[in-house]
Amino acid sequence: MSTNDYLVLAGTFHGVHAITRTITPRIPVPSPPSSTSTTSYAFPNPGIPATGLEYLETEKFRLTCFQTLTGTKFLLFTDPLTTNIDVVMRKVYELYADYVMKNPFYQLEMPVRCEAFDRHLGGWLRGRT
Amino acid sequence: MSYYFTILSPSDAPLFNIAFGTSKSGGDGIARFRFPDSAQYMNQFVIHSSLDIVEEAQWMNGNMYLKHIDTYPPAAAYISAFLTPSGTRFLLLHQPPQPPSTSSTGGSSLLSSSFSGASSSRASSSSVAANPTSPQTEEAVRQFMNEVYENYVKTIMSPFYRQGMEIRSPVFRTKVTAAGRKWL
Amino acid sequence: MSQHPRHSAMLSISTSNSNLANAGADKQQPSQNVSTPTQSSSPGLRVPSNRKTIYDRHLNRSRTAELSRASFAFLFSEMVTYAQRRVTGIQDLEKRLNEQGYPLGLRLLDLLFYRTMSSSTSSSLSSSSTSSSPPNRPLRILPLLHLIHGPLWRLLFQRSADALEHSVSPETPNEYMITDNDPLVNTYISVPREMSMLNCAAFVAGIIEGVCDGCGFEAKVSAHNQPTEMWPGRTVFLLRFGDSVMEREKVLERAGVR
Repeated sequence: MSTNDYLVLAGTFHGVHAITRTITPRIPVPSPPSSTSTTSYAFPNPGIPATGLEYLETEKFRLTCFQTLTGTKFLLFTDPLTTNIDVVMRKVYELYADYVMKNPFYQLEMPVRCEAFDRHLGGWLRGRT
Repeated sequence: MSYYFTILSPSDAPLFNIAFGTSKSGGDGIARFRFPDSAQYMNQFVIHSSLDIVEEAQWMNGNMYLKHIDTYPPAAAYISAFLTPSGTRFLLLHQPPQPPSTSSTGGSSLLSSSFSGASSSRASSSSVAANPTSPQTEEAVRQFMNEVYENYVKTIMSPFYRQGMEIRSPVFRTKVTAAGRKWL
Repeated sequence: MSQHPRHSAMLSISTSNSNLANAGADKQQPSQNVSTPTQSSSPGLRVPSNRKTIYDRHLNRSRTAELSRASFAFLFSEMVTYAQRRVTGIQDLEKRLNEQGYPLGLRLLDLLFYRTMSSSTSSSLSSSSTSSSPPNRPLRILPLLHLIHGPLWRLLFQRSADALEHSVSPETPNEYMITDNDPLVNTYISVPREMSMLNCAAFVAGIIEGVCDGCGFEAKVSAHNQPTEMWPGRTVFLLRFGDSVMEREKVLERAGVR
């Protein structure tokens, strides 16, 4: 895939993700009897805001989306039968935090071109198989 | 005994200096040099004139404490040197009191021995005042230098201090004075 | 004598402690200062709320303390970014990193000796090569290099450097090399391809240069990439001693100084 294809894919996914976040079902909150205002709604688990799409399963593949606290999204395409995806995700996040975010030559919002990140990620993935 | 202590940068710029007298043997810690008060610069002359010897000894002797390195007989001034690894020089001029001293401090051996027995448990105290080249004096100066060195290291670890800057901290001065009281 | 050409340039931040200058104005009365060690009377000097100045803290306090590697990595990353502003090229950037390390080297030298001196019982700092209970200032090149290779590296990175070599070429007897297989400062750094000559360990080179200059060994130190299959981040620090040092070395050798 070319860089352009990646951008198209990212754009498409971003739209889908934004839609899924807004259509997250909410439940009505029983308002106090004294108040006459309209009923408010909250997410099933009030402490956690809506994250949107987390994974997408098809017959051919499974797409997992992991969001960092700052909103960067990692997308992982795997075989539907693969297990331990969260382990992989956490490791990728860890390596990203180390070798990308601590690299003075990486600029935010730019494509990740960090040789040490590629090297360590490759080494770790090779060690797993 | 009167002392004049100075710190010089590796390029011989004066960073710090202080004059004080002995606190051992009943000394009151006030410097009484043989030069008249109007000629205090003589201390600096004498101490700076020993720099050549320091630079010679610097490369022959790897110790930080170079001990007693120079004497200026006309003023009975003895100079001890200490070199930090980064080349900063600590120089201490010590001058025993004039034998026919009219002041009541130091001077007479009778007085000093009686005081040292009563006030101080350190055995070296009387000899520090009596003999500027004795091993006890060397040792006392070494202890003094080491303590100043510790405070000097603290000074240079300050992010606002750069090598070659004058040391202006009043706390540092206090610490050097305290070290002088303790050891000399 | 040792020349310190950079000192004039290093006085730039002295204005920030003008409050100390005011307080130093009354330094003519040391006897008063003794009775009030915290200087509450002098208006310019501010003392921390716990009344402890840097002189009241022990220098070995943080000797065995650990520092977060992540916080160092972020700090160093910002230092590189800062040095990168308005640079004209890779050499300029390396020069700036070198200058950031240089004053650190001067300080570490004294701290290292103080700690070796005060901890005669500990074996962690006194190395096999330069160990002796009263530490000696290095007078010749070789003890200096051992000091850098061993104690200094352990102070900075908790391990010795990986190799110490002398240039084999007869034209350059003044060149020595210290190798680090995986420099701590470069752990998380990937240099973009168009700057492949750059090595951010120029900062460490600056520290080494500060140590050499502080000891009276005028030297130029630079960091070079020499990756191997096993160690992609392998860095060689090239030390080039000045002519005055080499001349003195000959004199001292004849005099039998070690």
